Amino acid sequence: MRSRPLTQTVQQRSKILTQIGPYLAAVLAAFVVVGILLLLMGFNPLRAFQTILFTSFRTRNNFIQTWLKFIPLVFMALAFTIPAKGGKFNIGGEGQLIMGAVGAAVVGILWADAPAFILLPLVLLAGIAAGAFWAFIPAILLYRFNIHEILSTVLLNFVSFSVIDYVATEIWPDPLAGHPTTTPIGAGGNLPLLISSPPLHSGLLIALFVALAVYIYTERTSAGYELVATGANPRAAAVFGINTKVLFLLALVLGGAMAGLGGAVEVAGVHHRLIEGLQSNFLALGIIIGLISKGNHAVLPFVALFIAILEVGASAMQRTLAIPVEMVFIVEALILIFVLLSDVVRKDS
Amino acid sequence: MELDQIVSFMGLVFLAVVPYILASQGTMLAGQTGQFNVSQEGIMLASASLGFLGAYQFGSLWAGVLTAVLTGALFGLAFSYFTTTLKMNQFVVGLALFFVGLGLSTLAFKLTIGVTLTPPQIPTLNKVPIPLLSQIPIVGEIIFSQNVFVYFAVLLSIGLYYLLYKTQYGLELRAVGESPKTADSMGINVVRSRYVTAVFGGVLIALAGVYLPMVYTGTFTEGIVQGRGWLSTALTFFGGWQPHLIFFGSFFFAAVEVFALRAQVFGSGLPHQLLLTFPYLTTLLVMMFGARWARTPGFLGQNYDREKRSV
Repeated sequence: MRSRPLTQTVQQRSKILTQIGPYLAAVLAAFVVVGILLLLMGFNPLRAFQTILFTSFRTRNNFIQTWLKFIPLVFMALAFTIPAKGGKFNIGGEGQLIMGAVGAAVVGILWADAPAFILLPLVLLAGIAAGAFWAFIPAILLYRFNIHEILSTVLLNFVSFSVIDYVATEIWPDPLAGHPTTTPIGAGGNLPLLISSPPLHSGLLIALFVALAVYIYTERTSAGYELVATGANPRAAAVFGINTKVLFLLALVLGGAMAGLGGAVEVAGVHHRLIEGLQSNFLALGIIIGLISKGNHAVLPFVALFIAILEVGASAMQRTLAIPVEMVFIVEALILIFVLLSDVVRKDS
Repeated sequence: MELDQIVSFMGLVFLAVVPYILASQGTMLAGQTGQFNVSQEGIMLASASLGFLGAYQFGSLWAGVLTAVLTGALFGLAFSYFTTTLKMNQFVVGLALFFVGLGLSTLAFKLTIGVTLTPPQIPTLNKVPIPLLSQIPIVGEIIFSQNVFVYFAVLLSIGLYYLLYKTQYGLELRAVGESPKTADSMGINVVRSRYVTAVFGGVLIALAGVYLPMVYTGTFTEGIVQGRGWLSTALTFFGGWQPHLIFFGSFFFAAVEVFALRAQVFGSGLPHQLLLTFPYLTTLLVMMFGARWARTPGFLGQNYDREKRSV
């Protein structure tokens, strides 16, 4: 084995350190701020942090729960970062995820008897199409009427709440559920399991594959580079012959497709039916993950995993220490703010 | 419709219009100096929660209002510090503050009250009929027999119009939002203008938030704001970032809200889910046509760096 010259290794190490350093500092700073808050409120911050950070690794079940959280978070983060690469803000991931779940459930219920090799792809495709369509509306409003996408995407979230409620209470309600829920989709629409007990579905592979594909698209292809160039400087991109308006449209629709696929995977992998509220707080977490990774798609899955760990820890903390889960949401928002601040600091120095 | 039905409908519209007016005027005010804050929904949630808790803990509605005012001022201050001073991206900062408000609202409520099926109530705001004016038939009942926030929202809109278009200071503020470089060279303090408008804008948005528990529910729930913050942002665009147009546009938004609510209560044959989407869908429609003529301050959403040559 040949060893590299020492100086090169040191240089590489310090390069990684300067990249990872600000993240570590931001996480540390967020924990310090929340730690002081917890102390003032009479909680034990060390026990709280221990629970938040290590619950995921305590039991097999918790570990799998973490990966189950990770899957939708990756999709929601991509739903934000792909349009963001092109300079557009998609705050409608929530609605797109819901519509994707609705599309998947509609297909899964209507063709419940179809064999798996037909039904499963159809369920996933329906989710992608529905999510893409839900993003196409704001995209076309931007394209034709120059309506700010940040508003149109977010307003459509509220419309999607009505759609899912209608499907789950009026069209295929499950009267025994006690909460707006549809009847189950056909068994052929369920994602196969990777591990059966506790169940971990193969949506994980889809999420990892899609994350890799998006990484290759944005960092390694010329089509992706056009998107990045447009986001960096739309006027310059237009001068070089890139049709920026079409690219905005495409980026938003692609983002919607990501969220829609995320919704379909939740239906096909976790719930096997449509349940109101399945979107949880994935919108906010997805945006936080996207912003923390600063559009770097190689970093994104790791940030998503970290946030998934925090989220699983948050539920445990609420159960055992009676600290509301929202405390962890504050931690996450603070990490985001500190990561953003570290940019400012670096620019100045 | 009978006359008394129309009167009661209009009365409800005047009740529902307040959060739209306050939140949009707050957004507009910061926008006049080039700051586009998208954390309205978060500020409204945080101030609804903290304002309710303040009123509940101190047993006084005005303590609640004061808490909300402080909350909004802090949010506005934070926004301006991150964007004006540190020159961070306004959308990103707005989103981050939105999340902080979102988390803070539920967290504060759970920590003080706990998880309960019967949340504590505060008394809702009294109506304060204005002597003589409230005696006028119909109009008196609709306009002059409301709570103090309604009067405040109307007077505020007039005041903002006067400030922005009839005073030197208003002209200076607008100059900052159109071309900060020019304003700077004229000796206008760009940074201070931005801080002042962001803080007062935040206060107005917070008043819109605390209005909801104080008038509608008497308590805080997670779904209390229901997109009113985002709708107000859309309304600000639709109103062309001008106080008088925003004022009139607010009534349209409030009328849609009241209409959808009434249709649910009295039955209309339409599924209630469809009625619930009315405010959002009409907003999108309105923006489609409003976007043609509404103009925005020239420097909206950007940060000013006097040491940079371009801009």
